[in-house]
Amino acid sequence: MAVSSNNSMPTPTPEEPSITSHSNGSPPFDIVKTYNELCRTDPLLTHPIAAIEALISLLAASPVDTISETLSLLSTATTALKSSVSNPIALSAGTDLFQRYIISTLQQRSSQDAKGRSRRNLAGGTEDFRAVLAHLLANSRLFVQRANEARGKIASVARKFVRDGSTVLTCGRSRVVAAVLEATADENVRFQVIYAEDPLPSSPNSTNIVNNLRRKDVPVAVIPFAAMATVLSRADFILAGAESVVENGGVISSMGTYQMGLLAKSKGRPFYVVAESHKFVRVFPLDGGDLPIKGMGIEFSTENEEGKGMHEEGRRKERDLCVEFTPPELITAIVTENGVQTPSAVSEELIKIWY
Amino acid sequence: MAPSANVEGELAPAQDIESSEKPLENGAKEQVVPATSEDITAPKGKAKTANGAQQKGKPSEGSKDGKPSGKELKEKAKAEKAARRAQQKGRQPGQQGQPIVDLGPEKQKNADTRRPSVAGPAPTTKIQHKRTGSASGGAQKPIQFRPVQAHAAPISEEPPKENKNVALFDHLYGNPRRNTVAGASKDVHPAVLALGLQMRNYMICGSSARCVATMLAFKRVIEAYITPPQNSLPRHLTTHLSSQIDYIVSCRPLSISMGNAIRWLKVKISEVDVTTEESEAKADLCNAIDSFITEKITVADQVIARRGIEKIRDGDVILTYAKSSIVQQTLVEAFRQGRKFKVIVVDSRPLFEGKNLARALTDLGLEAQYSLTHGISHVIKDATKVFLGAHAMMSNGRLYSRVGTALVAMTAKEADVPVIVCCESIKYTEKVALDSFVHNEVAPPEELITQGETSSPLSKWLDVPNLQLLNLMYDLTPAEYISMVIDESGYLPPSSVPFMQRLSLNT
Repeated sequence: MAVSSNNSMPTPTPEEPSITSHSNGSPPFDIVKTYNELCRTDPLLTHPIAAIEALISLLAASPVDTISETLSLLSTATTALKSSVSNPIALSAGTDLFQRYIISTLQQRSSQDAKGRSRRNLAGGTEDFRAVLAHLLANSRLFVQRANEARGKIASVARKFVRDGSTVLTCGRSRVVAAVLEATADENVRFQVIYAEDPLPSSPNSTNIVNNLRRKDVPVAVIPFAAMATVLSRADFILAGAESVVENGGVISSMGTYQMGLLAKSKGRPFYVVAESHKFVRVFPLDGGDLPIKGMGIEFSTENEEGKGMHEEGRRKERDLCVEFTPPELITAIVTENGVQTPSAVSEELIKIWY
Repeated sequence: MAPSANVEGELAPAQDIESSEKPLENGAKEQVVPATSEDITAPKGKAKTANGAQQKGKPSEGSKDGKPSGKELKEKAKAEKAARRAQQKGRQPGQQGQPIVDLGPEKQKNADTRRPSVAGPAPTTKIQHKRTGSASGGAQKPIQFRPVQAHAAPISEEPPKENKNVALFDHLYGNPRRNTVAGASKDVHPAVLALGLQMRNYMICGSSARCVATMLAFKRVIEAYITPPQNSLPRHLTTHLSSQIDYIVSCRPLSISMGNAIRWLKVKISEVDVTTEESEAKADLCNAIDSFITEKITVADQVIARRGIEKIRDGDVILTYAKSSIVQQTLVEAFRQGRKFKVIVVDSRPLFEGKNLARALTDLGLEAQYSLTHGISHVIKDATKVFLGAHAMMSNGRLYSRVGTALVAMTAKEADVPVIVCCESIKYTEKVALDSFVHNEVAPPEELITQGETSSPLSKWLDVPNLQLLNLMYDLTPAEYISMVIDESGYLPPSSVPFMQRLSLNT
């Protein structure tokens, strides 16, 4: 690596001349900060896409000259990013996808180049790499753009599930669910929504499905989460969002989804999950305890907390346990921008990406 | 095959050539002088025999349509096939041989007209079968009695032997397993001769082990092979291998993995350039076999074990059934890496494979508990994960494995314990199975008799009327009971098995 950066010194590059020093020189690019900033500024941005955007900005800001340098930079940034959040799965869907994409693009390009030019032309090679990188960055922006458009596509597919006179049960703050229901309301379909309220205080940035739907003249009933089983018989089907979709077709989503799935199964109601395909992630949990998420365990204690309310402990746990795993056998179908899929199709989609 | 027929020249070989030539629609000339026309028609004849061997390989795996279905066409094809097989294997002439010899000339007569629908001798024999069955069954013993075409005594005056086959599995019985090397074709290599008997006696047991052993034996076959004059290696070696395979099948039906490996090898042989030097071609093939074993089994096992370990956590109680080499490897590796877990080995009669596993694990210092299948509902309460090996994975995601596996998986599902199947992709098959009845392997019922005990209640089972013993080898586990399949490419849900199967075919 050192040799190649020395070689690239004399070549005129549009970047700063700080190429010889590695990423610890110059103002260091803080990937975690960028990621958090992206998540904060754009509430519609999903975690995987935010991660991809952060990685793109990292690549754009970092002077790299070789493929292996790029890859090692990406992997260190990814590790830093993953360790900064409590649930790295959603994020890793994006970083894995991006890494895969970079590798396959670079391999394609380099194999083309190997045919075209002689190997010894090192300076030319570096310049060529820059061109490849620029092309790659431009393409990846396109990729991000497409991923953001996915929500609209899902809405157009999934709204066919909502028929005139039907009642939809949903919970959580999924942006895709909101998009689907709002798109359906725009189509002048007369339907009702039962919204099971999450006991977690919602952050000001999260989309408020209830308000948005009522604004569009859709009758919404808000129920406490505990009333779900009672109310379920009134609903025609259940619509849920997801943070990640794992290899066996199960989903990782906000607390309460698993309960909802279990109830839906026992009451014979269809349980649809709407999620963009970039949320597919190569993780195969056997059950909820098999997830690489911090704070998923429960602690037993014989000591009462002094001077605090009864629920303080539960509240804290609630914050930690923000996501859970819903197994595939509870899910009727997963709606992605590619159409309606059975949970078992997820694995095939993932294999297609990785092989 | 053709050369062997020439040497054993009696009535039978001539018949063989004639009958095998017929479907080819070859002219009458070749039939008149088979020996001289051998050179000219060699390619055609060879392709045909190879084809025939493949067709034959399949039914012996379990789908022998033994039922007297009434379709004359089927009957005729069967007789033809049986006749061919009888000669190729040089089976000792016994009771089973009798009807085939009888059928031979009849078939020949019938073949002149070549119209199966015409009432010829073949239907007559069929009716005869039926009559024998119903008459003897009704008159002498009030038991259900059904003659099988092979076992039926042709003369009704003899005291009728009770059919000891279980009716539901009648189609699976086939020919009894070979006990000796006597009567094996002279083409069969000594290594293969030994291998067949080892497999028959379960000295080599388990899908992967049998696959590896077969491929290694075939390597020796190839090393010792010399292309006969006026033949080319890619064409002749396949038929040479076919006779080896026939012998192995007569000892024990092929496993799915062996079938896949043999199919691969045949393709490899057919891809050999005719112009290649023989020694070079043989060396290439041997190298290919070596890398095949390394890639598809040795390394695959290591990768699977590594992935399996990732799913074993400290404090886990792993339940496994019988003995799978890959599960054993996973558990041993996990133990070596310092995972703290317990193992429950569930086992069953008659093979007691789990005893070996339990012994191997406890010898290492792993805490293992041994139980038989009847204790499954009790021990499953302690288990946190179930690891199973595979004989094969079907294209509908179902697991075909040692009989009893389905019970274990079902119990685990009921108890909400995840079931993990470790399976190399060489064991994937494009076949689909819905139950354990259609495809299965029936082992000799004598294996169920407790060994070393002369007073075993079953030791005289043949004389006990109305008693039939069933010794099935495999059963089918529905995909719903399987949480995860681990193969060398990663974790899969069982529904993705056909997808991976297609993928592994392409590469």
